[in-house]
Amino acid sequence: MSSTDRRGPFEKVLAVRGMAQVITVTIGLVIIFIVFSMLSENFTSYRNMRNLLRQVAPILLIGIAQSYVLITGNIDLSIGSVVGMSCMISATLMTKGISPLAAVAITMACCLLVGLVNGALVAKCSLPPFIATLGTMTIARGIAQIVNNNHNTDSIGEAARGFRNLFYYGESLGVYNAVWIAVAMWLVFNFILSYTRIGRHIYAVGSNIDAARMSGVNINATVTAAYLVSSFCCCIVGFITCATGGVGTMDSGNTYELYAVAASVIGGVSTLGGQGLLLGTVIGASIWSVLQNGLILANAPVAIRNIAVGIIVVISVLLDIVVRNGKWMKKKSD
Amino acid sequence: MGEYLAECEHVDKSFFGVKVLDDVSFDVRAGEVVALLGENGAGKSTLVKILSGVYARDGGTLKVFGAPVGNLTPREAQNLGISIIHQELNLCSHLTVAENIFLGRETVKNGVLAKREMSSRAAGILKRLNLDMDPDAIVGSLSVSKQQLVEIAKALSTNARILIMDEPTSALTAKEIEDLFVIIRKLRDEGDCGIVYISHRLDELKHIADRVVIMRDGRFITSAEFGAVTMDEIISHMVGREIKEKFPRVPGKRGKKIFEVKNLSAGKMVKDVSFDLYEGEIVGISGLMGAGRTELTRAIFGIDPKDSGHIYLEGSEISIRRPSDAISHGVVLAPEDRKKDGLCTRLSVRENISLPNLDSLCDGGFVNRGKEKLMVYDTIRNLAIRLSGPEINAGSLSGGNQQKVVVGKWLARNSKVVIFDEPTRGIDVAAKVEIYNLMNDLKKNGIGVMFVSSEMPEVMGFADRIIVMCDGRITGEFMSGEATQNKILEKATQFEAKELSLGGAERGKAV
Repeated sequence: MSSTDRRGPFEKVLAVRGMAQVITVTIGLVIIFIVFSMLSENFTSYRNMRNLLRQVAPILLIGIAQSYVLITGNIDLSIGSVVGMSCMISATLMTKGISPLAAVAITMACCLLVGLVNGALVAKCSLPPFIATLGTMTIARGIAQIVNNNHNTDSIGEAARGFRNLFYYGESLGVYNAVWIAVAMWLVFNFILSYTRIGRHIYAVGSNIDAARMSGVNINATVTAAYLVSSFCCCIVGFITCATGGVGTMDSGNTYELYAVAASVIGGVSTLGGQGLLLGTVIGASIWSVLQNGLILANAPVAIRNIAVGIIVVISVLLDIVVRNGKWMKKKSD
Repeated sequence: MGEYLAECEHVDKSFFGVKVLDDVSFDVRAGEVVALLGENGAGKSTLVKILSGVYARDGGTLKVFGAPVGNLTPREAQNLGISIIHQELNLCSHLTVAENIFLGRETVKNGVLAKREMSSRAAGILKRLNLDMDPDAIVGSLSVSKQQLVEIAKALSTNARILIMDEPTSALTAKEIEDLFVIIRKLRDEGDCGIVYISHRLDELKHIADRVVIMRDGRFITSAEFGAVTMDEIISHMVGREIKEKFPRVPGKRGKKIFEVKNLSAGKMVKDVSFDLYEGEIVGISGLMGAGRTELTRAIFGIDPKDSGHIYLEGSEISIRRPSDAISHGVVLAPEDRKKDGLCTRLSVRENISLPNLDSLCDGGFVNRGKEKLMVYDTIRNLAIRLSGPEINAGSLSGGNQQKVVVGKWLARNSKVVIFDEPTRGIDVAAKVEIYNLMNDLKKNGIGVMFVSSEMPEVMGFADRIIVMCDGRITGEFMSGEATQNKILEKATQFEAKELSLGGAERGKAV
């Protein structure tokens, strides 16, 4: 074998592409965490930690959704609307007395259809992804509004208790189920991205689409797969939202696509494609949630929260560009 | 010499009615390096693109391993064992060496990528090439030459037997070229592969070429064992282009010096360039692709940063740090890619003409429509731009008329030096003559005119003085009467000596 085996374990970890950025933002997360624990006693309480973990879950899932699409060099603006669609369709079906299991299955099919359409528009019809998913974003939001005749739903009721426990209120081994769901899905999608052929192709398409095509990579299938993963994750987040409130609300998931971009790019996923680790998305989603949670506990007004989060997003992307430009200039001069 | 790997016979190809390949026959056998030579536009690239499935041929036959094949797709060509290593690299810079080598053909066990196995197989291929490279290194972090070698490794991993290399050494240092040649010779000596090698650097050929095939004007000219021809013969086969067109050259008297560039260096492609322009003459800049001509015009105009050098206009030094500086001094550029750099194709002709002149057209921040209209109509009339009206999109005009708009927007102000980059590319003969007339008008009005052209007949037939560039330097200068195609090509291939110490490998006659 090659020289790889002579390297220490730390060097091996660092050699994974994008790992350096993940480590940088992890340090950022730790700093933010320490600051908040000093600002507010309640922040590190057992109760708040359990809540915080549950708050991270949906952000992590939409982060995974957007990361997959961003790594292919595209973007998915329909994320928030698909969350809303999932929430409204599942809630409407359950209030009409359809069993939660059937409701979940039907909703999932509808959401995956959006992913399929996104993939077809972007890969097959070569629409700019920004425009294509802007369209499906509006359409999906419209569907969320129309399924219950432009009203939020009533309570999904006693029959759906199992559904609500599974996706939000219940817990296993002292941790809320929503967290377990997010962890399980992260494990699966991280495995797919890092250890399977389709995952490799997702990176290749985002890195250099021409090289990928000339190497025989099926571009359509790869991009569509990424959009399908995205809509799958959004669907689950819709279930979590529905389970949380016990009703379907038409504007649920609003602007989630932008939170998802934030979680991804803070975690080091490049909006230009080809680069990013789902490990980074975990950190990005955590920074996002810790900021929200910590600033609330520190009694910061909403305006300050928004400004702080915005600054973090810009700085993390700026840092990425500075690092990248540094590398680029080095390459140019040799 | 081994079996025939690929044989093209009587291949024809036209683009939009223009014949770019005319009855070309070409073959490559196992265990040989064939150097495919020719000037810009001789048809080399088209030929190898047909071989590698990028273009479909119009006529003729193609046999691979003795069996006739139809029109190939790039994928089919690859499966047959034909691999092309492009000038512009085709790698995923975010992925590792091993990941790139096996892209699209990953080894999978139970649905999981066999990373270790691919890594060690990649290491094996790299070893076969005697390359000291970590298969897990990220391609984007490697030098250009290493990336090129990764492309070769990738080609070999597909069991390619016909390797086509298009100008592989243009971005490499002497040491890297040596390494590449060692690998090429190793592959040849193993006897399985045939290598088609395209290069403008004729001095390289003695190190690797077994045979040369020379093309000119889309036609096959000759094929010969490398040792059996001299460099002079090669050059005269490459040039010998007939000059069919007539160029409306206007005799003029050389007046005072208008513009001077001294010791200009910019990036890798412009090295210590000095030249001057006089009133009443047109200077043509000749050279092969990648000689640094476009880069020179970009550096003068202030698009790309200059590393050092001075520019003088009418005797006094001027500083050009960005295009607006150049424009305010009256030094303007009609760029090579009209649609990308020269025009806002979706804006109207009127808007295009007034865009660089808004400073003089605006009263207190508002565009004075009356003045604008006057300027636009003057320009259209002076240059005889044919259009239905000034409001149509610039992009909808013919190539010749587009070029006139590009020039027209500069002439509306008092320009002193006009630089054209490939002014007649892609326009028809009648429009060409109009562009020549336009340049003659400029010359008559005492404006310094220089143009870059890849068409040697055009430079020889039209320019009063010819400057030849190669490798970012000026390698020759001729008055129009003294220049011959051979002389120009000799200067255009005068690369900076990259001393190659490949002892014992030299065959054929050195230049």
